[in-house]
Amino acid sequence: MRRKEFIKRSTLTVGAGIVAPYILPSGRLFAKSGIEKAEHVVMVMFAGGVRQQESILGRYLEDSQGVSGVAGNIMPNLFNGNAPTKKIVYGQDIPGQTRGSDPIPRLLTDSLASKGMTFNEVRAQSAGHYVGLNTLLTGSMSTGQGLKTRPSSPTIFEYLRKHRGFKATDCWFVGNGIGNSTPLLNASTNENYGLNFGANMFIPPITFGSYGQNILSNSKPYSNNELKPMYEMKNFLNNSFALENSRQTTIKNTDDERTRIKEFMRATYTKQILGQIAMPPAAGSTDAFNVAYSAEILKEFKPKMLAVNISEVDGCHSNFTGYLRSLHRADHITAWLYDYIQTNIPEMKDNTVFIVAPECGRNLNPNPILDENDWMAFDHSDANSLRVWSLMVGKNVPKVSVGSEGNPIGRLTDLVPTIADIFGVYDDVMNSGYIDPMAMSQFLRV
Amino acid sequence: MHNFKYKYFIKIVLFNILIMNIYCTKEIHVQYQVNSAYIYESKAQKFKNKNEAEYISILYTSLYQKAIDPMELFQAQSVLYSIGDQNVAKEMLLSGYFNNPKIIIPSNADMRKDIPAFITETYKRFYLRYPSEAEKVYFTNYIKNNPEVTVELIYTAFSTSDEYSFY
Repeated sequence: MRRKEFIKRSTLTVGAGIVAPYILPSGRLFAKSGIEKAEHVVMVMFAGGVRQQESILGRYLEDSQGVSGVAGNIMPNLFNGNAPTKKIVYGQDIPGQTRGSDPIPRLLTDSLASKGMTFNEVRAQSAGHYVGLNTLLTGSMSTGQGLKTRPSSPTIFEYLRKHRGFKATDCWFVGNGIGNSTPLLNASTNENYGLNFGANMFIPPITFGSYGQNILSNSKPYSNNELKPMYEMKNFLNNSFALENSRQTTIKNTDDERTRIKEFMRATYTKQILGQIAMPPAAGSTDAFNVAYSAEILKEFKPKMLAVNISEVDGCHSNFTGYLRSLHRADHITAWLYDYIQTNIPEMKDNTVFIVAPECGRNLNPNPILDENDWMAFDHSDANSLRVWSLMVGKNVPKVSVGSEGNPIGRLTDLVPTIADIFGVYDDVMNSGYIDPMAMSQFLRV
Repeated sequence: MHNFKYKYFIKIVLFNILIMNIYCTKEIHVQYQVNSAYIYESKAQKFKNKNEAEYISILYTSLYQKAIDPMELFQAQSVLYSIGDQNVAKEMLLSGYFNNPKIIIPSNADMRKDIPAFITETYKRFYLRYPSEAEKVYFTNYIKNNPEVTVELIYTAFSTSDEYSFY
């Protein structure tokens, strides 16, 4: 009897010892459901409020300023269609010529739309930036979401870390500024997910801008071995303080991950001084800066999921010409990031799904503010602001164009289920109870 | 006339005596003293999270023995806010501070001369409390058994720990 008991217990102990290391944070032994479609996802949150008319519909000045005969596509890397031939002001400046008269040379031979899945007319869930960004990252309607607070519903990073078992350095959010709620988008306050499953984050204009250079670039380099005692003492102190989960104030990496991030930061400051940061050919904007540092993160960490936010098109509130230039530049830097992955990161080249989508649209009718060309500006608050598009290209993404101006298909909240679908955790995410009930994977809408 | 003056004089004297009896009291010399009280915090009482500005200015003052310049504080605050893992941000900030020769910290030799006193001072400096016996024993043994441990590493561990973020 005793021997039987001994054998039973030791078998259970050995079994548990073998199995325990593979239990996911969600408590499941293996990630449930689907087949993984790709190993990496990069999402460009093409934010700031983008009108359908000047972007995917390629109407340039026709549907905004009452000028006829000047339609054309100013986003040649993302969409198909010929460029405008008249009143060219969306390009770069050439001394002695009309401002913006030199369009940025096209980077991609074939547009992203022609390579993958385009949802031409998607319903946004909000006409505002922050709820829109929340929608892109949480897949929830985000109604009642406060400003200057973390999302109340889990972000895609948390879903992936909990249900797919990704490390903190596998998930990155790259924000464009520390204003409003942007630096809070890397994790939610949700009690079942939250900071313990949040993503790493940099806001490159600050972290790697002049402030970051002044404050952090002087930091001492330590090797992992040198830091080991510090981490041991710190872990002792933290265990002794025993901070409850509800009082956590930050996402957490392992000691090794932290050392790696710090090494990356130091190396990046050095590269900056040496002028070795790869930049889009037509740089010179905060968005370009953001995208360039996203590329550095991608090259170093090869994250499973990276979301980068750009937003300069928001200048459309008061400067329509500036908005056109920002749209054209945003097309250029988005294409550059896509191309950078294809040409500089072999581990991600044929293994990544690249997603692009605005967070909201812009009004049908202008406000009275005139710019340097006497063109009227546009805010975002009406039904036209709920009209957006989405693009997806990469491994296992079919080449298809879905929906049209009069036939909207899909919702912005579809993107989180779509990413969950790519990583094979669709059921877990859809059954979490936090996803917009009308949302579904874009792969299932085709 | 003479009678009137005399009566008037008597009245005034009586009135003054009355006033003095009512309003004059014996002067008492009071001396106040301060009772000795235990003012150090206990970790169980730390509930409030320091914000970035509080964290940086307290840390800076603790390491440089002077207040931080407002512009430097603003920049450091923004930088901390721009990094997702606050442990990474704080460790980077700290290692930058340690790279500045103006820092005022004990030498490693001083630390090893009297380890228990160093530990007590470090707990008071960063946590505003005394170490428990268990904490004292842990650090005494750890420092003794690990010759590579420096004041810099110990200060980094304390100032980036969870407890230091709360008050």
